[in-house]
Amino acid sequence: MANMIQKNASDLDAKFRYEITSKVGAKSLLKCIQCGVCSSGCTVTEYVDMQPHRVVASCLLGLREEVLSSQAIWTCSLCHRCTERCPKNVDYSFILALLRNLSVNEGRIPKEYSGTVVTIYDNGFVVPYTGGLKDNIDRRRNRMSLPQIIPPELDEIRYIIEATGLADIAKKKKEGD
Amino acid sequence: MEYALFLGCTIPLKMPHLEKSFRDIASILGVKLREMEGASCCPEPVSLQSLNIDTWVTLGARNLILAEKMGLDILTICSGCYETLKTVSVLLEEDPEYLARINEVLGKIGYNYKGKTKVYHFVELFSQPEWLDKIRNTVIKPLDDLNLAVHYGCHLIRPSKIMQFDHPEKPEKIDIILKALGARTVEFANKLECCGFCARLQEEIGEKLVEDKMTELCGLEEEVDALIAVCPACVTQIDRKERLVARKSGKELDIPVLYLPEIMAVALGVDLQDISLKNRSVKPNKLIEKLTS
Repeated sequence: MANMIQKNASDLDAKFRYEITSKVGAKSLLKCIQCGVCSSGCTVTEYVDMQPHRVVASCLLGLREEVLSSQAIWTCSLCHRCTERCPKNVDYSFILALLRNLSVNEGRIPKEYSGTVVTIYDNGFVVPYTGGLKDNIDRRRNRMSLPQIIPPELDEIRYIIEATGLADIAKKKKEGD
Repeated sequence: MEYALFLGCTIPLKMPHLEKSFRDIASILGVKLREMEGASCCPEPVSLQSLNIDTWVTLGARNLILAEKMGLDILTICSGCYETLKTVSVLLEEDPEYLARINEVLGKIGYNYKGKTKVYHFVELFSQPEWLDKIRNTVIKPLDDLNLAVHYGCHLIRPSKIMQFDHPEKPEKIDIILKALGARTVEFANKLECCGFCARLQEEIGEKLVEDKMTELCGLEEEVDALIAVCPACVTQIDRKERLVARKSGKELDIPVLYLPEIMAVALGVDLQDISLKNRSVKPNKLIEKLTS
């Protein structure tokens, strides 16, 4: 459970809710009535430091830092039951993805998540498909008489990753390794 | 009807035996498929969407365009690919402004998405009445002796406002296909629980979910011969964690996890030698014995 937070009203980020709702598909945040259905059906409800209905309340209150630094936004298993069951049609699982995006923009990325985009940047696939690994995969597929894989043009994949804002993560990680 | 076959990454590169069984049944049932050359990762819905929704949507749209250029709808064989491609197609269909923004990026590499591609999972296809009839009429080895449990997984059915696939709390499409093959299916309390694969930060979440599900199934009065799933992540997760949990807890958990096309292949007469049933952690020895006796 989260520790008790004491804050002056003047220290709240009153615009945080609109930072979220200005994004595609996130307007529903404002409709929350704090019934708690999302948290009662949540797959990971016992494991998070802030349950779904409290994350939403914190967004509405303007507790930006507390939300974006919470472990809760990354613990979600994306089962979508919250979104499915919400009586007010708040799309919590999608809003959570947005919150993760905002957290990433501030440089907070769990390592379990950053590796994927590096692999896609290098291979076009989320599974390494170059050099000896590619040969092994191709041989195995051949033995099963499966068609040859025609991979994407990597220039196109890299351009999309860079143009949409993940260049730093996709490339920086490599230099660091 | 012909479909653009979207393979994704995990199945063709890591679990080609699952692709093989799908292609075998598609060929037996007469589903026409065309390869999607140059397709990339769908991209993977959990981490890419978490890192940057625009990257996720744009890479997804590029894949949709490949099918659009072929003039075909997409058929997926993985629930992750299904979720990504279907969600991206719905988001872009509902929001022309967003579509224009994504097309601006794609335009620089010569792509333009018109927003017409429909996305299907093979369960959606095979659970339609005409395909069920075809399946019933094509069965060579009815699964009369088998009692099967179904794991739907999350991304196939939720959120239902986007997936519009089956009832989000009481789905039945996989059960219907298995019944068409002659098998019985069981109802159980943990049927709709997540496999936990996507809860990446804490391994114990997945372990607990798999332990609860498999412990319940192993304790049912009538023995369950296999758990059937339709997503490579669910199959791998439950298979590996079941073995791990059995070792850790000392519980006797021995129900094998199969990908739906594998059991369909058995019923449709594919030689057991050509279905890699042993290629998993929890070996389906009892099941194979039952199928060969």
